[in-house]
Amino acid sequence: MSNNRRGFLRELASVVTAAKDAPEPVVPDLSDAEVERYSRQLVLPEWGAAAQLALIEASVLVIGAGALGSPVGLYLAGAGVGRIGIVDDDAVELSNLHRQLLHFTPDLGTPKSESAAAKLRFLNPDVVIEPYQVRVAAANAPALVEGQDLVVDCSDSFATRYAVNAACCAARVPVVEAGVLGMAGMVMSIKPGRTACYRCAFPTAPADAPRCADAGVLGPAAGVIGSLQAMEALKLLTGVASAIADGFLQVDLATAEFLRVRVARREDCPDCSPL
Amino acid sequence: MAARTLDITALTCPMTWVRTKLELERMAAGEALVVRCRPGEALENVPRSARDAGHRVAVEGTTVRIVRA
Repeated sequence: MSNNRRGFLRELASVVTAAKDAPEPVVPDLSDAEVERYSRQLVLPEWGAAAQLALIEASVLVIGAGALGSPVGLYLAGAGVGRIGIVDDDAVELSNLHRQLLHFTPDLGTPKSESAAAKLRFLNPDVVIEPYQVRVAAANAPALVEGQDLVVDCSDSFATRYAVNAACCAARVPVVEAGVLGMAGMVMSIKPGRTACYRCAFPTAPADAPRCADAGVLGPAAGVIGSLQAMEALKLLTGVASAIADGFLQVDLATAEFLRVRVARREDCPDCSPL
Repeated sequence: MAARTLDITALTCPMTWVRTKLELERMAAGEALVVRCRPGEALENVPRSARDAGHRVAVEGTTVRIVRA
């Protein structure tokens, strides 16, 4: 879908909503191709044209085009999110391919953001894909998250997650945080100022936190966690179901146990208590 | 008010219900939609899906009349 059309729909909706005696609620039409492409979600009782149009109008930033970012990008592009930014400064390596579904062997050496963008454009040409080949840090996170409807943090370090959490809290942009290691992981949705943030749940990084590069991960474990993040993203963008907020979901795929852990907002949270 | 009409005789599942559902979403509560179906799958599934969604449904031949909840 072109930017022009998205802008046009927004303009049209505001004009018609303003008109007196509007005969019925304004629901812009989905094209025949859109109805067919999204039919398996449109048919859900919880879904409908309003939810689909909310996705088409949405701008989402996916931080990391690796093991988590791959399923997130695929599902969000497939579902019809209008604009997806993909941030990653790495190049595709052979050791990535067992878990990073967006990258294939011929992509070795290619920037992950570009490799990911190419696949997502193949999947859904109606989605605007914006690759950013940069490393996210505290200094550039605010500019990256500004103006987004949602951020999905698929990064692989505590430092990046804290930087993303702080920037999203400051800009009041909802964010889905996650982490995966070995055969386990966690997922948490955050509505800044309304629900507990990542820093509320994890005030300090563990001193001995291993990175994926040091510790290993099974591909399907990352796939499950990334898929859960995509599910959270769709819920937050459309409101069709409650997100995993004020807590996180802890997932142990070795034992197949899912545990919902409650987290309260911290009064002294440096990231979200000022909100 | 004349009832809206929708012809889904050229469609197959799940597009039969998708098109009906999208049309119902554009209507006000109490408004009626007359859906022309093919016998078979559509005539079985569209009334059932409409009832499951809480709408009032009457079937006459291959025509399904749905009053939006």
